[in-house]
Amino acid sequence: MKNLVTEEEIAQVAKLMKIEIEDHSEHVEKVQKMLQYFDILDKANVESEKLENPGIKLDKLRNDRYISYDKKLLKFLKIYKEKYVKAPKLS
Amino acid sequence: MNLSISALDYQTSIKNGDFTVEEFISKSIEKINSVDDNLHAFLLKMNDSALEKAKEIDCKLKSNQNVGKCYGMPISVKDNICVAGYRTTCASKVLEDFISPYTATAVDRLQSEDAIVIGKTNLDEFAMGLSTEYSAYGPSKNPWNTDYVPGGSSGGSAVSVSANECVASLGSDTGGSVRNPASFCSVVGLKPTYGLVSRYGLISYANSMEQIGPLTKTVKDSAFLLNIISGIDTNDNTTRDKENQDYLQDIDAGISGKKIGIVSEMTSSEVLSDEVLNSTKDAIKTFERIGANCENVELPMVPYAVAAYYTITSTEAGSNLARYDNIRYGYDFNSEGFEFNSYISQARDKLGPEVKRRMILGGFVPSAGHAGKYFLKALKVKSKLISELKPIFDKYDFLISPTVPIQPFKFGEIQDPVQFMKIDYNTVTSNLTGKPAISIPYKIVNGLPIGIQIMADSFKDHSLLQAAYALEKTVELPEALI
Repeated sequence: MKNLVTEEEIAQVAKLMKIEIEDHSEHVEKVQKMLQYFDILDKANVESEKLENPGIKLDKLRNDRYISYDKKLLKFLKIYKEKYVKAPKLS
Repeated sequence: MNLSISALDYQTSIKNGDFTVEEFISKSIEKINSVDDNLHAFLLKMNDSALEKAKEIDCKLKSNQNVGKCYGMPISVKDNICVAGYRTTCASKVLEDFISPYTATAVDRLQSEDAIVIGKTNLDEFAMGLSTEYSAYGPSKNPWNTDYVPGGSSGGSAVSVSANECVASLGSDTGGSVRNPASFCSVVGLKPTYGLVSRYGLISYANSMEQIGPLTKTVKDSAFLLNIISGIDTNDNTTRDKENQDYLQDIDAGISGKKIGIVSEMTSSEVLSDEVLNSTKDAIKTFERIGANCENVELPMVPYAVAAYYTITSTEAGSNLARYDNIRYGYDFNSEGFEFNSYISQARDKLGPEVKRRMILGGFVPSAGHAGKYFLKALKVKSKLISELKPIFDKYDFLISPTVPIQPFKFGEIQDPVQFMKIDYNTVTSNLTGKPAISIPYKIVNGLPIGIQIMADSFKDHSLLQAAYALEKTVELPEALI
């Protein structure tokens, strides 16, 4: 099988996606097989297909306004301290 | 008391006073308690609130107060759809403690019509799968044979309806996740037109394709539920007005004179089993016998649809799952002593292997140097598929195919990821194009169900239900013995 994605690439993507994977090799074979299958897209002959993005008119979007929230929701936060959500420090 | 009755028969029985809501709910809870340790359809049972609500509705009935159209019928809700005050886990350990702060619009509309949510049902983690084998809480089992998968990702929903643990269920369908388990468990499963049902309160996996849809015992029940859950919602900008459509009206209009296209690519694929092919040929004869004109049609983009679907959904999943940083919500895991990135990575360690793989794919296929090869081409396949369908729906009223190319398989039987993806071969087209599609139970072969899929043009959900009802009327199937 052609090596479409290496263990190192998987490790790099996992790092970028912020997901913890102890053994990257366990995913290599399956991800490679999936990507190899995706190669079928090369045969679809869609190069000339134009992509349209119709967009949404501004008046169709919901108003950008403050929606009050139920303060009781705060009790569901596991790491809420005094008035703040406690987050890990940025390096 | 017969727990296998349809939603509409339940409604009639309550109106006639054949039994009380409390009696029916109590019996349903008994049924769940007796079979669900084995079937594992439910991740959360809501027995106390269901009984309390049943008593309230009985009081309203006794005092001749207005009661909603659902008359207290027990429904289950897939555990990626929010019900305020209750856990919504998406079958993931990452959300094991997450309590929904609000209720999904579809559920809210059912509750406003006095439906009773009896529990939250199992799924593949974050709806990524088609067998429930990827649920972090263990799989559900097929009531027809518990050695076999029930399909997915809305497997728990299909099991709960098939095993008469409730009258109907709400699932979500991103690439077949309502229709696949409906086919595997011999229930009706409807994926409405994209935009017909609000996604507000459905935890996102791939927003551009997923829809909430009903799983029911009959086609009429699906029409009944669609009447309630469909229509515009200011909380979901993709919703469209249903223009006072009554999906039950003239549901028995029949199919005489209608033109049906048999999708060649879906009835000749390498993954199609002989049993499913023979049942499909039989269904085509049935359609012709009841007055439809069936012809083969070609959709040349179908062989590329699965790859396009997984490329696009993985990309959207990679983005949607980025919110699980365990800071705003999540499980009990103290951030003390962690640097920001390492904390999030550690917290996400609770994601299961399939979700991690989809995130890796979702990071890879749209990335610099790879987007042109994968993501852009996938979008173009999607666009061309939509173009291909336009002239076909100008000529044909419906398209038909088997819902799933194979029958239910044994747990652990399919390990190859490509073989697994190809099970979605016939269902993803309606998600990529936004078209409505329905799976109707058609045969039981070797003790396991086979469903037939009908697809229609966008917002032709009413005609779709009429065609489905016409086919359903020709079929008499046994119930699962569980």
